[in-house]
Amino acid sequence: MKTIDCRGQACPVPVIATKKALEESGTGIRVLVDDGAPRENVVRFVKNRGYLVNETAEADGWSLLVTGSTTAEEAAQSNVTASASGDRVLLVTSDRLGDGPEELGYLLMKNFIFTLLETPQQPDRILFLNSGVLLATEGAETVEALKQLEERGVELLACGVCLDYFKKKDQLAVGQVTNMFSTAEHLLAAALVIKL
Amino acid sequence: MGQQVVREGQYLAVFNSTHRVLKAEGLLKSSGLAIMLIPAPRAVQADCGLAIRFDEEQHDTVMQLLSEQNLLPAFLCQLRNDTYITIREYQHENH
Repeated sequence: MKTIDCRGQACPVPVIATKKALEESGTGIRVLVDDGAPRENVVRFVKNRGYLVNETAEADGWSLLVTGSTTAEEAAQSNVTASASGDRVLLVTSDRLGDGPEELGYLLMKNFIFTLLETPQQPDRILFLNSGVLLATEGAETVEALKQLEERGVELLACGVCLDYFKKKDQLAVGQVTNMFSTAEHLLAAALVIKL
Repeated sequence: MGQQVVREGQYLAVFNSTHRVLKAEGLLKSSGLAIMLIPAPRAVQADCGLAIRFDEEQHDTVMQLLSEQNLLPAFLCQLRNDTYITIREYQHENH
């Protein structure tokens, strides 16, 4: 069984490493993490996806044994179903939600992103394009909620061309810069794309 | 759970009017207060579902400003031991 050592690493690194390891192994993995937020975030992430987790305290941190879910029913209730056939992707192409007054649009987008923290299911990935990238840049009120989503394993990808256009390339506060190749690939490989 | 949108001890001024809450947000921000307009958590659901979140030490300043500008919320609550406690309801026509 594959073991990944995330001790000494801060969020969201342990969750992202766990996600990658699970995608590669497909069966089970062992994750070594520090106590506190890294342990909580990894446990929540794998449980959300329908995996079973067995936690053991070690001398220096925790060992999490992550294995596949036991029943079909459990799997059906989790994100595993969507993950097996592809990811659930949110495509955010504006910093406003819907047409109408600007003020209302900003408010609705911020509300939507904060509300994702309370919904039982979360997207696997959020792609930010056009003015949508502004939501992930320094000074945006949405950064706080996006950071929490990232810690829970949601991958955040912001369009580099767009950041450059807005002269915000060095001000991305959360997530990673991406290009149109990977954006297009993620969209085409997704099981579900929700465009905002 | 790790971090939450609302931390222990923080207040939520819950409004039932979108226009009113936007006015209140503008007022408080232009006064230099680090407040945040957030969707009201399910536990305190209001008509329009919007709340202004602020820290304990900002309480007096925030409530005084809102009162002076006639922008008081529908009610004020505080997160104590993971439960939202209603501190006060405000009686006026437009929340």
